[in-house]
Amino acid sequence: MSRGDVLAIVLAAACVGLLYAHLWQPAVTATHVELRVGGKPSGRYALADSRDVAVEGRLGTSVLRIEDGRVRFLRSPCRNQVCVHSGWLHRGGDAAACLPNRVSVGLVGGDALDGVAH
Amino acid sequence: MKLPESPHLRLFLRRLALGTGLAVFFTWLALRQPQGDDGRLVQEEFLAMGTIVSISLYLDTDQDRDAALDALDDARHDLETYAQRWSAWGDGALGRINRQLDAGERVEIPAELQPLFDAAARLGTASGGLFDVRVGRLVELWGFDDEAHYRSAPPDEAAIGAAVADLAGAPPLLAGAAEYGPATGARFDFGAIAKGEATDRIVETLREAGYPNVIVNAGGNLRAAGRRGGRAWRIGVRHPRPGTQQRVLATLDIDGDEAVITSGDYERYFETEGETGSERYHHLLDPRSGMPARGLQAVTVVAPSGALADAASTAIFVAGPGQWRDTARALGVDQVFVVDAQGRIEVTAALARRIDFAEGSAAITVP
Repeated sequence: MSRGDVLAIVLAAACVGLLYAHLWQPAVTATHVELRVGGKPSGRYALADSRDVAVEGRLGTSVLRIEDGRVRFLRSPCRNQVCVHSGWLHRGGDAAACLPNRVSVGLVGGDALDGVAH
Repeated sequence: MKLPESPHLRLFLRRLALGTGLAVFFTWLALRQPQGDDGRLVQEEFLAMGTIVSISLYLDTDQDRDAALDALDDARHDLETYAQRWSAWGDGALGRINRQLDAGERVEIPAELQPLFDAAARLGTASGGLFDVRVGRLVELWGFDDEAHYRSAPPDEAAIGAAVADLAGAPPLLAGAAEYGPATGARFDFGAIAKGEATDRIVETLREAGYPNVIVNAGGNLRAAGRRGGRAWRIGVRHPRPGTQQRVLATLDIDGDEAVITSGDYERYFETEGETGSERYHHLLDPRSGMPARGLQAVTVVAPSGALADAASTAIFVAGPGQWRDTARALGVDQVFVVDAQGRIEVTAALARRIDFAEGSAAITVP
């Protein structure tokens, strides 16, 4: 490895590092879950309110559970159950989908409050 | 240090050094970013004006954390002086005025108190007397002046009637007046405006010190200026009857310079058990009846200044379900929402555009 190689590697690493530092966002807690069926928005629910949400997809009914600021697929009529196994989601940007049933969820609004008026 | 003879070993060591260096570099980058963000938020929390006051600054990249903490300390001392000045029962300027009024004397309003006296007089007139800083005697009678004085039953009706009559008989407070009284029925209590004005002062002081991005929370009275870095300040409004899941009733963003102040029947109150169920007696007294105002659970006002939002939320609460909109208009505030005794929400169109209510709470927009 020549000096040139070392220099090239260091420069490349520095570029990647700077981009990483610039673009990387710390994980944030989400406030809402957005529900889509076949890619079209079909509902928006606050993570603060615990409940089960039933949604009709192509194969049948998927059930989502919202609890303690998190959400997960509880049941879905798909065969492989990938969606159910993806477990709890709680961070802004987290997402899960039941592709056979065309149902997907995404978490949004991940900003914590800076103060509460009372 | 002498390098080993073997070229393989030398190559290995070089690569090891490079690899370790890169690993350290990336670890540093990964750990640095979240700290960098939090590190730009400087917060101080302390007790003042009988409540918890918290001030947060969002620093520019070139601003020093220690200097910011010094600026916050200055703001804190300034607030302590301010609190003493406006304490209705203490040994500051307002306390002295109240003792002179008690003694039946005519009082001179010192220059340092003049601006807020003027503001209070104007807001009092505009609200048709629903906001009134002369209610100190009633506040005292109900025991809401000090947590140690809280009662377990409402005061005697005759005593309330007498205090209301005395207040009605006292001269009105006029804007620009340098003197007041004599009026033994009046006692000044700026509790419904001074906390709001204090938040304005803190924001102003810190802006002058070079910190334009600030959020102040004075016992739930919020005042924000600037931004929190890449985003606006995010404000929640407490649910007046919170459940285990739903503690925040609404959220909104503050981008710029605004106050969000809520008056509710859930702060400073006591309850009695009667034949018809429990009755809640809270600190938002109607100066006309001497009784806690009925019909609303909470009022939230968003306004350019804390003093205005504070006084307006009180007056609008006292106005009640039928009159709240007219009172808001008379006070010149157009961003308001109220929660009535049944938990129904009414929101002005100007606020409805920018506020998010929690899922499941339907708000009626009123013009």
